[in-house]
Amino acid sequence: MKWITRARPKIDRIACPWLIKRFVDADAEFIYVQKEIVFEEAKKLNAIPYDIPGAEYSHYGEECTFDYIVKKHQIKDVEVIQISNIVRGADTHRFDLAEQAAGLWAISAGLSVNYQDDYEQLEIGMKIYDALYSWAKFARAEVHTWDNKS
Amino acid sequence: MKWITREKPKIDRIACPWLIKRFIDEDAEIIYVPFNEVISKAKKLNATAFDIPDVEYTHYKDECTFDYFIKKHKLNDPALQTLAVIVRGADTERHDLASQSSGLWAISAGLSHNSGTDHEMLERGMMIYDALYSWAKYHKNEKHTQNPSEQLLIHVFEKFLKQKGSKKIPVWARELKEIIQDQIDTNITLKQLSQSLDINPAYLSREFSKYFDNLSFGDYIRKLRIDKAIDYLNNSNYSLTKIAYLTGFSDQSHFARIFKKHNGVNPSQYRKKLRKK
Repeated sequence: MKWITRARPKIDRIACPWLIKRFVDADAEFIYVQKEIVFEEAKKLNAIPYDIPGAEYSHYGEECTFDYIVKKHQIKDVEVIQISNIVRGADTHRFDLAEQAAGLWAISAGLSVNYQDDYEQLEIGMKIYDALYSWAKFARAEVHTWDNKS
Repeated sequence: MKWITREKPKIDRIACPWLIKRFIDEDAEIIYVPFNEVISKAKKLNATAFDIPDVEYTHYKDECTFDYFIKKHKLNDPALQTLAVIVRGADTERHDLASQSSGLWAISAGLSHNSGTDHEMLERGMMIYDALYSWAKYHKNEKHTQNPSEQLLIHVFEKFLKQKGSKKIPVWARELKEIIQDQIDTNITLKQLSQSLDINPAYLSREFSKYFDNLSFGDYIRKLRIDKAIDYLNNSNYSLTKIAYLTGFSDQSHFARIFKKHNGVNPSQYRKKLRKK
């Protein structure tokens, strides 16, 4: 399935593709186009528009598109739920929602400066969300200290 | 130049190589070996050891190796200063230092888990620090991205609000309280304080009263000064001029006027009453 959204992604438009690829459709294809032509191209390419006002896959109230995908596709994974708080916090600038949101925002904003190519940015973004997922699953309780010799 | 450190890097041993490659020596070679081989391999390979105890490039007090590199190589880029606090917070488990530290830690811990080799980790880490650097340089002061200190305050506010009812006072408020107490006899201003905390003065002024007994900044300072004056009146024989000076009032008549406003009587009347008792 193809998914289409606005160009120059930062948080939601990177996190959603990650979520879709990992939990909804491993073969999904992602397309970024200018905001004005998202719906037009969606029709032409038979793609699902997301993270744009007027689309089904969009923000609802305080929740972002990532939250909607979690709900719609009934993803029950505990780590995904945890990541959804971080994503919502970073995407809606409510850094109080999760301790990790401000850092995710800073790194994502910086990536968007460093990579002008949205697809290149997506590739790196996938690694970031894979990392957050591994952290949530395996390393969350780990404490990092200077004396830790391992 | 070769640089050598312990294997399985997460924060400092990725951030330092990034700093070396981007600001000190772009051709630097980074070597990761088991902890107990760092010193011997350093000699053999003619490499500089870093981020292990008892070498020059290491932690000093609460500062991490990244901080030492910045100092030693006199890197004055303000964006690097911003980064240093985030790195220090993530590396030393003091996530209260910068609001970005927790996220950097989570992503780094996860990258380390997902990376097959230390050099794969380094390669990914380079992109992370390049990104943080660009953010610090270009985005940090964006209107909708509040600065880190402000984020920190907001973060602590929220924490505090959630804990309402418990007696825990947020770290920043405690620090601010200490600064104010230390400097109560000087001409302390909201502007200076907001500068030293790197917060917008209007914002600090607005949020201040939430954590300081519902008092505005000016009222809080005056209250502290009056409390201190009462303490001197009770426990010393200092002249009123001296007490006015010690409590940061510009002159005695100003002191008397404010004192009366708070206590209904002026300082000399207050002292007379005390002596009658």
